[in-house]
Amino acid sequence: MSTAGFWAKRLGKLGLARRTALVSVGLLFCIQLVVQFFIRDRIENSVQHNVMVALDSSANVWGRLLDQNAEKLALGASVLAADFGFRSAISSGDQETIQSALENSQQRIGATVAAIFDTNFELKTFNGGVPDPALISSLQNFARSMAKMTVKSQSMPVHGRLHQFVSTPIKAPSTIGWIVMGFPIDQALSADMQSLTGAKLLLYQTGAARALLFSSVAGGAQLPVSTLSGDVGRIQIAGEDYAFKRINQRTDMVAVDAYLLAPLEDARAAFGYMKNVLLLIDVAALVLFALGSIELARRVSQPLNALMEDAQRLAIGDYSQKIPDFGRQDEVGNFARAFDQMRQGIQSSQAEVQRLAYWDRLTGLPNRAQFTGRLEDLLRSAGPDAALSVMVMDLDRFKHINDVLGYAFGDRVLQIMAQRIAALLDGSDRMVCRLGGCNFAVVLPRGGIDAALELAKAINLALEEPVRHEGQAVDLRVGVGVCSHVGAFDGTLADTLIGRAEVAMYAAKRSHSGLKVYDPSLDSASAQTLSMLGELKQAISHNELRLFLQPKIQLRTDQVVAAEALVRWVHPARGMVPPMDFIPFAEQTGFIRHITIWMIDALARSWHDLQPPAGQGPLRVAVNLSTRDLMDPEFPAKLEQVLQQHAVPRAGLCLEITESAIMDDPVRAEATLNELANAGYKLSIDDFGTGYSSLAYLKRLPVSELKIDKSFVMGMEGSESDAQIVKSTIDLAHNLGLSVVAEGIENDAIYAKLRVLNCDEGQGYFMSKPLPVTDFVAWRARWLVQHGVMVDA
Amino acid sequence: MREARFLGLNRYCVWRTGLCVVLLVFSVAQAGAADVTISVQEDAGKPLDGAVAYLESAAAKALVKPLTGAEIGQVNKHFVPPVVVVTVGTAVNFPNRDTVRHHVYSFSPAKTFDLKLYSGTPAAPVVFDKPGVVDLGCNIHDQMRAWVLVVDTPYFGRGEAGQAIVLRGVPPGAYRLKVWHPRLPVNAPMWEQNVTITAAPLAVSAVLKGLEP
Repeated sequence: MSTAGFWAKRLGKLGLARRTALVSVGLLFCIQLVVQFFIRDRIENSVQHNVMVALDSSANVWGRLLDQNAEKLALGASVLAADFGFRSAISSGDQETIQSALENSQQRIGATVAAIFDTNFELKTFNGGVPDPALISSLQNFARSMAKMTVKSQSMPVHGRLHQFVSTPIKAPSTIGWIVMGFPIDQALSADMQSLTGAKLLLYQTGAARALLFSSVAGGAQLPVSTLSGDVGRIQIAGEDYAFKRINQRTDMVAVDAYLLAPLEDARAAFGYMKNVLLLIDVAALVLFALGSIELARRVSQPLNALMEDAQRLAIGDYSQKIPDFGRQDEVGNFARAFDQMRQGIQSSQAEVQRLAYWDRLTGLPNRAQFTGRLEDLLRSAGPDAALSVMVMDLDRFKHINDVLGYAFGDRVLQIMAQRIAALLDGSDRMVCRLGGCNFAVVLPRGGIDAALELAKAINLALEEPVRHEGQAVDLRVGVGVCSHVGAFDGTLADTLIGRAEVAMYAAKRSHSGLKVYDPSLDSASAQTLSMLGELKQAISHNELRLFLQPKIQLRTDQVVAAEALVRWVHPARGMVPPMDFIPFAEQTGFIRHITIWMIDALARSWHDLQPPAGQGPLRVAVNLSTRDLMDPEFPAKLEQVLQQHAVPRAGLCLEITESAIMDDPVRAEATLNELANAGYKLSIDDFGTGYSSLAYLKRLPVSELKIDKSFVMGMEGSESDAQIVKSTIDLAHNLGLSVVAEGIENDAIYAKLRVLNCDEGQGYFMSKPLPVTDFVAWRARWLVQHGVMVDA
Repeated sequence: MREARFLGLNRYCVWRTGLCVVLLVFSVAQAGAADVTISVQEDAGKPLDGAVAYLESAAAKALVKPLTGAEIGQVNKHFVPPVVVVTVGTAVNFPNRDTVRHHVYSFSPAKTFDLKLYSGTPAAPVVFDKPGVVDLGCNIHDQMRAWVLVVDTPYFGRGEAGQAIVLRGVPPGAYRLKVWHPRLPVNAPMWEQNVTITAAPLAVSAVLKGLEP
């Protein structure tokens, strides 16, 4: 892990308040560090610059001091030289007198070295230690220069000290000679420099042997003589920092190197106070900033922590406690208030969810979930010998009520039914719920079969009163299934109990008995059904299905013009399985689509074999389509593919659809029907009359044929009304341009009557039951011979 | 007639001295005397005014007599005249014609003296008894300068403005011709030359070097 990552992680572990404080204080500290560094650097620069400037001006002061000193000394010397006594002494010509006069004057003026030269600059008298020839020569030259007025003074080391020499003529009153006087100036000058500029002085004698002349710097005497080099620089002497400057050589300075030194510490001291104050300000700013940051961050993090606890309470489903807004009007307060609104929102939607989850919206009864939960509770708390019954009931013909009288009325029926059952149970420990659709369930916590049967009777009684709707009376009949159990249960049995009661109920409905008590034999039948899907798949793969055909006769000509394809299942164990036993199941599970395709494939395979000999019209074979097929948008393509594979023309096929198959989802069904009709398929409405669709509606559909349900056809003989229905249907259909097929023709009389009624085609056991393909062909040959149907040339 | 004039004397003095000199010159001239003309120049050949020339010889020395009436007055804090040539033994008066006092002095070896602060004419004149240049000053006023050239010969003269020095009626013989100027530095040697005077006039040219400004 990288260092940065490590610190980021460490930082992340700290609380928000500390982290914020740490980061901002850290940043501020860095900024201050940079600023401090910069300021200190500038100060040091400034110090050095100031010191150098000060040294420059010190150098000027030094020059001025030298000049002033020279003038002062020259003045003194000239005054002395003009003294009458002195002049008369000098003029006396007596060497001793001259010597003593010179000494006297020297003492008066403070010169340590004095010499008198004549007008030819020959030394007359010298006083001031050993008259070193070099010195004399130097003084001689100086006196000459003075006579030419090219210099005013000359400074040079004599006897190890810096002397300044001045010269003045001796006038009597013409110039009779020159007096040269030398004064040690180092100490006085250094003191002046010190007091005027604060600069210190280091003087070295140059020439053959460099030697220290003078030092006003502490420790300067110990400094090796060649340490100082260059014109400017820095040096440390006896632990003190100095800036130094070599004074530019003056023409009147001979054999001397003079350095001015300024202690940097003095210059720094001027900034010391500022530096300390700045440091103090920085530290104070840092502390205040830290405190401020911590407080600010705390004002954010404390509410956050409180809100976090609130959120944790919400997480465990406790919505009851109001979230405080800390009395703040800022973002934190806003956030807390928004958070509280969210709590209220969740609370109410939670209640709504609860309601939706456990209550049925339509009837206001508990729903299946609540019922199951209640049942589980009851089962868990039931004693070893407790009896408990579950009753499930299903409203008969509810789908028809919905279809005919509308969903709104259907809903009302359910509500009324719920009210009546609930009213029956009111005040008891029995509970009713709506399981879904038109299914209701009741649990009798302390009731056995008898109690359940009694209740069922009471419910039937309560439902006896018909529900009125726009002048019509609708009877409410229910199929009831009961399942009772005695003894201890575990909670998982709840679904099983409901399921058994449902099994009993379906059995009751199937048998139209109105009430059935659960019996394990019913269960095995349902188990049989459950395994049927696998068997059906096997039926297709093992080729257990058979194609049967029932002929359709053109009544006017007795010609066999069409046939309806029907499926039969030859089960390897159970033998011939009737369509009623597996077609509804296949429709329910959607497997019917595979059966439909199988049918079409089988039919297309045999289609050419089925065609009558040349001269007769082609045989049209009809296939039943389920609602599943109509809902499958790929069905037309599949159909097309199969027909192409076997080169069957589209006109050779008729597709039969029941009204109810369309009504499940009219929009999609119509789309598929239109696509098929446009492709050129003949469409036929099957079982017409059993549904509730009107002819006017059918007119909208692209159908060309109508099949009257066999219940009407079979009733024609005995019921004049049925005959009337058949007649009107035929007439209406013809008016709408539809051909009519009658199903269920069982005898000659009906056959004849339909022919009279102008029915186009007929189908029924009178002509033939459904036959295997080969049998169908044989039958047709017989039929044609029997009815003397002429084969067109 | 041109005659040598003694500069620096008042009219009265000039008149008396001139008479003496005329008489003297006459006596010599009778023995075949000649005129000596000396033209004096500075270094660069520029004619130099105010130079003094004189001829020394043993014979001439024997003829020297002190002059009378010589004086250097002090007027407006100046010595008037600033240059006086006198023969050995001449007494010179230093009358103070200013209202302020003066202190006239000389440290020159030819005559060292000082006349302490006085006004009016000092009681005793100063007698210059040795030949040489006497450098005079006032101890109170440094700008006051005067020179007394004490000569040991009657043959001397001073150049007028723009003109050469003419020494008239010098008897023939061998002389040492010396030329001096107040701007010559102290102790600096004078311009000197041996000349022989015959009956014929003599013209000498002298170039003075190392003059002070």
